[in-house]
This record gives sequence, structure tokens and C-alpha cells, in this order.
Amino acid sequence: MSSTVKIYSNQTIWDKISHINWGLFVLILMISGIGFAALYSAAGGSFSPWAARQMMRFVALLGGMFVIALIDVRWWYKLAWPIYFIGFAMLVVVEIMGHIGMGAQRWIDLGIIQLQPSELMKIAVVMVLARYFHAATLEDMRRIPFLIVPALIIIAPVGLVLLQPDLGTSLMIVMAGVSMFFMAGASIWLFVAGGVLAASSIPVAWYLMHDYQKQRVMTFLNPESDPLGAGYHIIQSKIALGSGGLSGKGFLEGTQSRLNFLPEKQTDFIFTLWAEEWGFLGGCFLLFLFGVVFMYGPWIAMKARHNFSRYLAMGLIVNFSLYVFINISMVMGLIPVVGAPLPLVSYGGTAMMSALIGFGLMMSVHVHRDSKVTRV
Amino acid sequence: MIFHRHLRRNAIKLEGQRSATLDLARGRLVLISGFFVLVYVLFALRAFDLTIIQYKPISSAEDLAQLEQGAGEVVAHVPRGDVVDRNGVLLATTLKTASLYVDPYLISDPQAAAKRLSAIFSDLKYGTALQKLQSAKRFVWLKRGILPDEQYKVLEIGEPGLGFRYEERRVYPQGSLLAHLLGYTTIDNAGQAGIERSFDGLLGAGGGGQDLALTIDTRLQHALRREIEATIDEFSAKAGFGVIMDVRTGEILAGVSLPDFDPHHAGKAPNNALFNRLSLGVYELGSVFKIFSTAALFETLNVPMSTTFDAREPIKVGRFAINDYHAEDRVLTVPEVFMYSSNIGSAMMGQAVGATALRDFYRDLGLLDRLDFEIREVTKPLVPNPWGEVSTLTASYGHGIATTPLQVVAAVSSIVNGGYLVKPKLVKSDIVPPREEVRVVSDKTAHRMRQLLRLTVTDGTARKADVPGYLVGGKTGTAEKSVAGKYDRKKLISSFVGVFPMDAPRYAVFIGVDEPKGTKASFGYATAGWTAAPAVQRTISSMVSILGLEPKHIVAEQDIAAPLKHYIAVKGAH
Repeated sequence: MSSTVKIYSNQTIWDKISHINWGLFVLILMISGIGFAALYSAAGGSFSPWAARQMMRFVALLGGMFVIALIDVRWWYKLAWPIYFIGFAMLVVVEIMGHIGMGAQRWIDLGIIQLQPSELMKIAVVMVLARYFHAATLEDMRRIPFLIVPALIIIAPVGLVLLQPDLGTSLMIVMAGVSMFFMAGASIWLFVAGGVLAASSIPVAWYLMHDYQKQRVMTFLNPESDPLGAGYHIIQSKIALGSGGLSGKGFLEGTQSRLNFLPEKQTDFIFTLWAEEWGFLGGCFLLFLFGVVFMYGPWIAMKARHNFSRYLAMGLIVNFSLYVFINISMVMGLIPVVGAPLPLVSYGGTAMMSALIGFGLMMSVHVHRDSKVTRV
Repeated sequence: MIFHRHLRRNAIKLEGQRSATLDLARGRLVLISGFFVLVYVLFALRAFDLTIIQYKPISSAEDLAQLEQGAGEVVAHVPRGDVVDRNGVLLATTLKTASLYVDPYLISDPQAAAKRLSAIFSDLKYGTALQKLQSAKRFVWLKRGILPDEQYKVLEIGEPGLGFRYEERRVYPQGSLLAHLLGYTTIDNAGQAGIERSFDGLLGAGGGGQDLALTIDTRLQHALRREIEATIDEFSAKAGFGVIMDVRTGEILAGVSLPDFDPHHAGKAPNNALFNRLSLGVYELGSVFKIFSTAALFETLNVPMSTTFDAREPIKVGRFAINDYHAEDRVLTVPEVFMYSSNIGSAMMGQAVGATALRDFYRDLGLLDRLDFEIREVTKPLVPNPWGEVSTLTASYGHGIATTPLQVVAAVSSIVNGGYLVKPKLVKSDIVPPREEVRVVSDKTAHRMRQLLRLTVTDGTARKADVPGYLVGGKTGTAEKSVAGKYDRKKLISSFVGVFPMDAPRYAVFIGVDEPKGTKASFGYATAGWTAAPAVQRTISSMVSILGLEPKHIVAEQDIAAPLKHYIAVKGAH
């Protein structure tokens, strides 16, 4: 068996490159390209200040993605726990520094780049859970004590992220983690019980929420109650979408970009800007691209020969899609404004970095998919 | 390799279970995938709903303007509420004004349009206008807040690219008349001072743009302002302030602080003009305080009018001495101390009352605490701390203690109205203020104080304040201003509080003048009897005709002050 492994270690770099999933890469290019166009329009038809920087960032991070893709997935298996603990330590540091900063201190300033440990943590949780469930049997999955460790793997970082306070990211880590439990075969009843528990904890959560978070929920329930204040985003976003029609107003013709109606148009509300200029068809095209990207997840997972790879690929695509879902639901007024970017499209390095790291790992799973370890 | 160990362990699992795990995992994978695909379909449907079903094009510039204001047509816009006086006279309102913008894409002849625009607006130069008309943007402001006839002329140009956006401007029809009490707003109609600030919530959109009625009577406000302005001019004073108060309720019928400012351009006003002297300024008002120390004497010791105070020698306290300004140089009765405004006599009264009792009495009258008022430009009085022997003496004739004019007028009202505490009120309330709630002096003391105030006008320092037929009473106060820790004999605050009619007081009229200078007509005097008292007299004369108050002509023996004549030495000492 170790000889089998050796064969794959000897896979030449060119073999690996040829195995990289170029279809997925093209999709990433197209989605990012839409992002650049939208940022160009957001600046009123200019590469500065957003589009040019975003493109440079993308090219640099793309390199990172390929490096990750070419590293054998077994290395990622080994590195799962170290990455998790490094991320956890960084979260602790942020929490300590957060008391000095104001509001939400989610960043570590490394001088050259700013790092958001909670972003890293999303991927680390998926990796560690994939590793933990890798060896689990169906029997294991039905024993509650066996599930205590993975539960702690989720709860520990979520607690720290909640303290920051960043409700959106906490929920995303929990949802990605729960989906891993589901895939690994935990009892359906566990999810039913969890759902009931979550519903009953809503009053407690409400009590613990910051005022601005409560305001967002209230505004979501009735955005018209405060049209100039907290309801502004949602109302403006809906007006903009509603003015787009079937095929939109045309590139650079969106009123949002022209008159600055929409705050955060280059980050969280970039989908609105896109759909305003390109209409229903443009919006659906972008959604379609995201949908196809999603399908690569199960496809790669299905082709993987062992659980770690399967869970990793699926966990990562779920994580990425949750990003997309939360952002799109927010701008369409389906959930409260939570402040989540649209990955690959919104301006900003952190979300792009975590998305491309995730795709790198998925590609690594794909490149090293033909593992001959048949007796998994 | 750990990886391999796990794989090996897995390898020895039972074949059947292994495939069961695999099947389950695959099944669940399909389930999750199905769920996610469903969400994307849901998004597509929602996008269809928002962009096609709820399709609403933004086409006209009017739509854009609405968008920029934020709400679009989602909520009806609520204009800021009006402020009116007690008779419904408009004091503050909100008017829709047009602002001119240009969409350069739609301009057919920029040169001609720029020429005509610069002809309409004197401050819009041809070059600037042309530059804006040829700009690459699609929305450029040309001029904000234009007049209706200017708008008409712009429409006559006939350029489709010129458009109007309507904004709301706060307008004060009375101009600067009530600037300090009413306050003003920012260009975005947010209250910045006075009633506009303290009632911002009620007047603004948040409160539904409710209207507000004040206790002010605009006619009386005009009269009071006119007389204070005239006094400032006549005596070349630095500033002036005045109040007309209903003594039974504390309602402010007029309140003036000069210099004032144009509330439409408050940003350009100097600080000296923005300063509200009535509620934010504290002054040592001098002998006006003898009303309070004398009332304290009656209230705490219940002495008869015939009680005498030896005013022949100045009272020496530490390094300074208390002297009399209108020196009588003899033993004085209570009415004489009051009508001739003897500092020595009043200090002795304060001494008799005692430090604690006098301080408590002042506190009951609301003279020692922060002014409780409906606008936020209020301040705390400067009160001696610790309140010792010397403070008691000086506070008896209104020195060493500095209060806002409004507090003083409310305290005087509280004494003359029969002894019931009133607070200054500016907002008209339909609920009749509950009288007889807190008693500060007895009926008897109130009556005696009315007699003394009347006597001061008939025979004392304030003879220039009398308006025949209206039984005016009052007290003068001439205080030297404290400059760099020393009192300056040349710099005075001269004030007078008048009350009428003294048999059943209704109105208190107070005027203070900051640094008046003597004139030929006043024989060089700048004291209250020559400056503030005549101003109050003129104000009351106007008031009675405005309000239609009938005069009561009575013989001298029927005058409320007549019984006091008994305690006054026969002419000659004066």
C-alpha cells in the first residue's frame, strides 16, 4: 500500500498540472471577471480605486491556489490539526487585541497583509472534521460520545468568533460543520433535536445580540420602518434590482454607480450593481456560474477514493456556497443584512483569499483523486 | 504516516459495513447537493420576482432625486412641524424651495444656456456655468434654494437638461425676533438651538412633524425688544435682555436677548450674538435680590414693618466695607431700606435671617440650582461655596451670587403671585398649570412684598417706572460688574423688575442692560432707575394697550403702598 502511495508521490509536476481541474479554473476566471467588470462600473467606469487592485490581488492569490492544488492531499491530511491550532491561537490573539480596538476587531495586521483568522478558521474546521470523520464507521457516527470531539472542534472557535463579535461568520462555521456531520452519517434525529434546540435558543440569542444586530433583524422584518437609517440598504437594493428588468440598463448605466445611492456597492452589494446593469438575465447567469461551481464539489467528492478527500471537497464547497447564499439572500431581502461579501466578486482580499485557498484544496483532492487505496 | 495507519484500520472493517457507510455518504452527498441546487433555483425565482415582476424603471430625473433622498416613494415625506405663538402667529415653518441642477447630456446649446443662467443668477459666472453644463457627469448642481421667479426664468430658457429638485427650508417669518428662544436648524433641518433643538424629536419627521405652540405673545415680544434696543442705543450699552412673565403661571410672554442674530444664517452670527443671555448668561443682579432677602426676613422672623436698621456706618467685613449707593445716613425702617435700596440695611436683614435660613430660602425659590427650562441652553448659577458669613451679607443685596435672569424673574413671580412657586415656561400647554402646589412664602409676606414694590415705584428709586392707572411696582438693581476679580464702578449691569397691577399682580416685566453709559439727559447716571426702569415703563405702556387692559384710577389713600407711608420719615433726609 505504501508503494501505491509512492507511485503518486512520484507523479511528475506536469502530470499533476494536467490533472488540475481546468474547467473549475475557467469558471473561477469568469466569476472573477464579472467581479472586475462590476468594480469597474462601481467606480463610474474606472479601474481605480477598486478593479485594478482587485485584479492584481486575484493574480497573486491564483498562484497560491495552484501551489495548494499541487501539494499532495495527504500533506493536507497531516497539516489539518496544526492549521486548526494556529488558527485558534490567532483567534485568541484577536480576542485579546479586540478589547483594545473598537466594535469588532476581526483582523490581525501582519504589516503587509491583514489577516482575518475567522476566515482561516472556516477552512481549518472543515479540514479537521474531514480528518476526524475519515476513519469513522457508521457505528461510530451513531455513538454520541464519538461526536463530542467534533462538536468541540466546532464550538471552540465559534465561541471566540462570537466574542469578536461576528455573528455571520459564527453561523457559517456552525452550518459548514453541521453539514459535515450530516455527510459523515450522523443520525437524522440529531439534526432534528439540534433544530429544535436552536429554535428554542432564539430568545437567549436575542438577549445576547448587540444593538446593531438587533436593529438589523428588526429592519429585515420591516425595512420601511426606517427607510433612511437601517432599512436603507435593503430598500435601495430592492429598488436597484427592480429597475434592472429583463436585460438591465446596460454596462456603466446603473444609477447606483452614478449617484452613490448604495453604500458598500463595491463590497457586499456588488450583486445588486451587477443585476441592475445586466438585469434578470445577467443576475441569473452569475447564479448559474455559481451553481456549476457548486456542482464541482459533489463531482470531485464522488470521484475521490477515500473519506478525507470526499469530506474535504464537500465541506469546502458547502462553505463557499454558504458565502454565496448569505450574500445573495441578503441583497435580495431574504435574510437580514449581515455584512457578508460575495466571494470572488466583492472587492476585498480576505474573502477572495479564503475562496481560492478552498478551491486550491478541492483541486488538490482532484489532482490526487486516483489514489489506488481501494480498501478505504 | 498517520494517514496510512487510518487506512489500514479501515481496511480490516467488515466489507458490508464499509459499503453501507459508503452508500450512506453518497446518499447524503446527493441530498445536500440537491438542497443546494434547490437554493440556487430559489434565488433565480426571487431574482425573477424582483427584476421582472416588481420591475420599475428609474427613468426621470425626478425619480433619481427621490432615490437620492433615500426613501423613494416608500414612505410619504413628513415636513418639519410649525412653531406658533400663543395666538397662533407663525414663528417657524418649513417651505419647499427649488434647487437647480443640470444633466449635461440633455443640454442642446450650452453656451446660450450658460449666458442666460448667468444673467438670472448674479453670483453664477458664465464660465462656471458653462463648465458645469459641459461636465461629463449626468447630475450637477447649479444653484440651490432659488426663488420662484428665478425658477420661472430658468424654465423660460427651455433647456430639457435643466431640472429642479425640491428641498425643504426652515423659514422664520419673524426673522431675528425670537432667535434665541426659537433657535435654528441646520440645512438638513436638524434642530441646533432653542426650541428647535429641545423639541427636535417632536417637530422632526421622527415625531410626525407635529406643530408646537409657545407661550410667547409676538406683539409683546416686539414691544419688549423695541424698548430694550432703544435703551441699548440710548445708553450705548453692550447688550440687553428682558422677559415678560405671567406671574401666576410662569409662562414667558416675551423673552429678548440682544444682540441677536438671523436664524436663517445662524452660522454667520458671532458668538456674542448667538449667546442667550436669558438662560445661559449668569449675572450679579444686585439690589433686585433685596426682594428675596426682605421676603426671607418676613418669612423667617415675621418682623413688623417698623423694624429699624442702622445704616449710618458701613459694615466692615474683613478687608472690604458695605456702603450705600443712595446713602440716607440714618436709622432706616424696612420700607425705607427697600425703597432707597440700602445695602447696609439689606445686609443686616440677611444677618438677622442667618446664613442657613437665607440660603435655604434662596434654594426654595430656585435661585441656587440649574435653571429648569424647556430649552437646553441653560446653566447653573454661581453660588458662594462655602456659604459663610460674608456670603450671607452680600447675597442679601445681590452680590457674590450670579444667576440667570429667567431664574430671578420666576422667583419674583413666585413671591408676588401670592407665594406659589412658578417655573419659567415656554411651551404652551392646554393643561392649566396646577397652582398652589408649592408655597414659598405666606400670603402675608406676599402682600407685604407687593406693598414694598409698589412703594419703590411711588416714592423710591424707581419712580420713572410708573404707568398711571396700572399700579406698577418693582425693584431696581444696579450692580458693578466684576472684572478680573474686582468690581468696576464704571461697568454696570442695570436692571429693573416691574410687576403690575400690584393689587392683583398679573405680569412681571424685567429688563437688564449690560454696561450702559450715562447721557446728558440722565445727568451722567447709568443706574437702573435711569436706564432699565424707564424702559420697563415704556414696555408696560405698550403692553396695556396691546392687551387692552383698563386703567384703574384710584386716590393715593387707596394705593396698596399707602399704609407704608407711616414708616417713612418726612421729606428732607432724601
